[in-house]
Amino acid sequence: MSSDYRRIVKDGIWDNNIVFAQTLALCPLLAVTGTASNGLGMGLASTAVMVASGLLISLLRNLITPQVRIPVFVLIIAVLVTLTDMFLNAWLHDLHKVLGLFIPLIVTNCAILGRAESFASRNHALPALLDGLMMGLGFTLALVILGASRELLGSGTLFANAALLLGSWARFLELVLIPDYKGFLLIILPPGGFIVLGCLLAGKRLIDRAVAARRRRALEAIDTPAGEAAR
Amino acid sequence: MAGKRILYPALLLGGFSTLATVLLVAGNLVTRDAIQERQREDLLVSLRQVVPESHYSNDLLADPLQLPGPDGTPITIYRGIHDGQVTALAYPISSQGYAGEIRLILGLDATGKILGVRVLTHAETPGLGDGIEVAKSDWILDFNGLSLGDPPQEKWKVKKDGGRFDAFSGATITPRAVVKAIENGLVFYRQQKTRLLEAPLSKGLPVVRVEGALHE
Amino acid sequence: MTVKSPRSAPYTHARTSIGRTMGLVMLALLPATLFGFYQFGWPAVFLFASTLLAAVLAEALSLRLAGKPPRPFLLDGSALLTGWLLALTLPPWAPWWIGVVGSLLAIIVGKQMFGGIGQNLFNPAMVARVALLISSPLEMTLFTAPAPLFSAQAPGLVESLTITFGNPVGFDAVSSATTLGHFKTELGRGVTLDQAAAGTASLWQLIGGEAAGSLGETSALLILLGGLFLLYKRIITWHIPLAMLGTLALLASLFHLLDPDHYVGPLTHLLSGAAILGAFFIATDLVTSPVSLRGQLLFGAGCGLLVYVTRTWAGYPEGVAFAVMLMNACTPLIDHYLKPRIYGRDRKGEPLSYTEQAEKGGNA
Repeated sequence: MSSDYRRIVKDGIWDNNIVFAQTLALCPLLAVTGTASNGLGMGLASTAVMVASGLLISLLRNLITPQVRIPVFVLIIAVLVTLTDMFLNAWLHDLHKVLGLFIPLIVTNCAILGRAESFASRNHALPALLDGLMMGLGFTLALVILGASRELLGSGTLFANAALLLGSWARFLELVLIPDYKGFLLIILPPGGFIVLGCLLAGKRLIDRAVAARRRRALEAIDTPAGEAAR
Repeated sequence: MAGKRILYPALLLGGFSTLATVLLVAGNLVTRDAIQERQREDLLVSLRQVVPESHYSNDLLADPLQLPGPDGTPITIYRGIHDGQVTALAYPISSQGYAGEIRLILGLDATGKILGVRVLTHAETPGLGDGIEVAKSDWILDFNGLSLGDPPQEKWKVKKDGGRFDAFSGATITPRAVVKAIENGLVFYRQQKTRLLEAPLSKGLPVVRVEGALHE
Repeated sequence: MTVKSPRSAPYTHARTSIGRTMGLVMLALLPATLFGFYQFGWPAVFLFASTLLAAVLAEALSLRLAGKPPRPFLLDGSALLTGWLLALTLPPWAPWWIGVVGSLLAIIVGKQMFGGIGQNLFNPAMVARVALLISSPLEMTLFTAPAPLFSAQAPGLVESLTITFGNPVGFDAVSSATTLGHFKTELGRGVTLDQAAAGTASLWQLIGGEAAGSLGETSALLILLGGLFLLYKRIITWHIPLAMLGTLALLASLFHLLDPDHYVGPLTHLLSGAAILGAFFIATDLVTSPVSLRGQLLFGAGCGLLVYVTRTWAGYPEGVAFAVMLMNACTPLIDHYLKPRIYGRDRKGEPLSYTEQAEKGGNA
C-alpha cells in the first residue's frame, strides 16, 4: 500500500507532472508565469481547488453515473473556483488583486477535470486527496520554475511582489539579481513563455535520459564486466 | 426500466445544479458586502492619489455628481468638500493613445489647478509609451499645479508641436494623447465651473447614490 | 529574360549549392551595404561586424550541441547571410548588444531549434528583428540622420566605438525619424499629407539613400539593383517580388486616389522602409516561401497586403518583418493547396492514366 502512495507522489511531482509530462494546463500556465510570485500564487490556488475537487469527487463517485459524470465534475469544479474567487476577493483582497484575473482561469485548467476523471472517480478518498495534492504541487513547481526563469531573463528579478502574496515576512525572497537591467520584454510576453517552456521540457527529457542511462549502466555493471557498458 | 435509467441521471444532474446554485447564492450573500467595501477602498485609494486628503473633510465617495461630458457620455465627478464649499474635484478623462484608449483620473482644486493626474488603464507599448505610469517615470507629476491659464491653452501641447511639455524619448503619440486628455479635462472644468462648484444640496434631501464607475 | 536551357531537365547538373546561392545573395547585398557604411559611418561597421560574428559563433555553438559536423554547415555561409540580413534591418547606430542578441535569437531560436538549415518555418532574420522590436522598442526605433564618412558631422573612430560599444551620451541631437515613422506620427495627429511631407525626405533622397533608416534599407536604387542581379542569376524568380511590390503599389495608389490628404502615395511606400529589401531578399528566402509559382504569387501578394495594412492602420510605422513572418506561417498551407503538379500525375497527385492495380502499386 505504501508503495502505491509513493507512486502517487512520484507521478504528481515528476514522472507524470501536469506540465512537464502531460503538457496540460498551458493556458493558465503561460498567462501567469511572468514572475515567480504569480506562478506560486496561481499554483497554490490551483492546488487548493485540486485537493478539494479530488476529495469531493472521490466521495461522491458511487453516486455519480457515468452518463452525466462530466457535467457533474465541471459543475463541482466551477463552484469551487467561484467560491474561492469570492472568498479571496472579500477577505484576502490584496492577494486577489495580484491574482485577480487568473483565478477564473483555474476553471480552464483541464488538468483538474483530467485528474477528476482519471483518478479521483476511481479511487478512495485518501489516495484521491493525496493525488490532488501532489498533482497540485507538481503544477506549482512547474509554474514557479517557469515563472522564475522568465522573470530572471525578462526583468532581472526573482520573486518580485512576493510580500503581496505571502505577507511581509516574504520580503527577503524579493531579489534583484541584475541591477539596472532594462528587461527583455519578449520573455515576459506569451511567445517568451512558449520558448522558455520548450527549453524546460527539453531539460526534463535530458535529465530523464541521464537518469535512465545511469540506471542502465549500474545494472549492466552488475551483469557484465566493466568496459562493455557503452551503448 | 428505460425510464428509470434516464430518470436517475436527470435527477442527479438537477440535484447537483440546485446544490451548486444554493452554494453560490450563499457564497455571494456572505461576501457581497465585504467585496463592495473593498471596491470602495480601491476607488478611494486611486482618488486620494490625485486629491490630497488635506483638501477636503468629507467622504469623497458620498454624493458624486453626474454631468454629460464633452462627447455626451455622462461623467461621474467626485467632490471634496470643506466647510460647505466644494474644494476639490476628481473625475475620469480619456483620449486615444498609440494603441487604444488611455484612461486617466484628474484631480483639481476649486480654482481649476491640477492637484494630480494618474493613469488608470492604457495599452501603450511597454518600455516605450508606458512612461506615463507613475511606477515607471515621474513624467506625469509635472502636471501638478498647472491649469488652463498656466500655461495658456495654446501651449497645452508637447514641445514637438510647439507646446510646453516634454515628450519622453522614443514616444510622441502617447504623451501627446495624455496632454490632450488633460487639456480636455480642464476645458470641461471651465465650461461646467458653476455646476461643478455648486455645493451639494443640504443633507435633508434624498441624494441619488451612484456606484463607482471608475473601476472595472 | 529568356530561358536558354531547359530548367528542369533531369539529366543536367545546375552546379548550384547552398554555398553558391548564399555567396551570390551576399554579393548582391554588397553595394547597398557598403553604401550604408558610407552613409552611417563607423558605428554601422562595428554593429555589422558584431552581428555577423555573433551569428557565426551561435551557429557553431548550436551545431556542436546538436552533434553535427560544424565545418560543412558553417562554410555554406547561411549563418553569415542571416546575420547580414539582420544587420541590414537594424538602426545603424544601435548598441552592439542589439546585434548580438538579435543574432543569437535568429540562429538559435529562429533556425537551429527547428532543426537547422532548411527546417525553419520562419525567416530567422525576421524572427530576430520582430523579437528585438518588441523587446527593446527604444533602441530599435532610434534612427539617426545619415552622417557620411569623413564628413564634418560624422563621428570619429573613437567616438564611434563609444556609440556602438560604450554608453553614448549626447548623441541624441542627431536622432531623426524615418520617412514612414514621420508620416505615421504626423498623419496620426490629423495633419494633411502635404504638410506632413514637408518635414521629411523627398523621393529622390529615398532613391539615393539620404534618409534616416535601417542600415541597408536606405538606398532603394542599390537594393533594387542587387535584387535584379539575383533575378538575372536565377537565384530567385520574379513572382514574389513583383506580387509583393505590385500589391503594395496597387493598394497605396487606390487609397491615395480616394483620399490624397490622408494616405501616403505609392512611390513613397515602395521607396521607403524595407519594401524593396523585403521583396527581393527576405520574402524570397527559399526555405520559408512556397514551392509552386502560383503559391509564390499568392505569398507575395499576401506580404504586400500585410505590409500596407500594417503601415497604414496598425501601431507600427513599418510592417515588412511582420508581414513576411505571418506569410511564412501560411506557407505550409499554401504549399498544401497549391502543389506543383508532379510529372505524370494530376494535381491531386494521382497518376494520369494508370489502371487500378498499377495505381495501388504506385502508391505503395
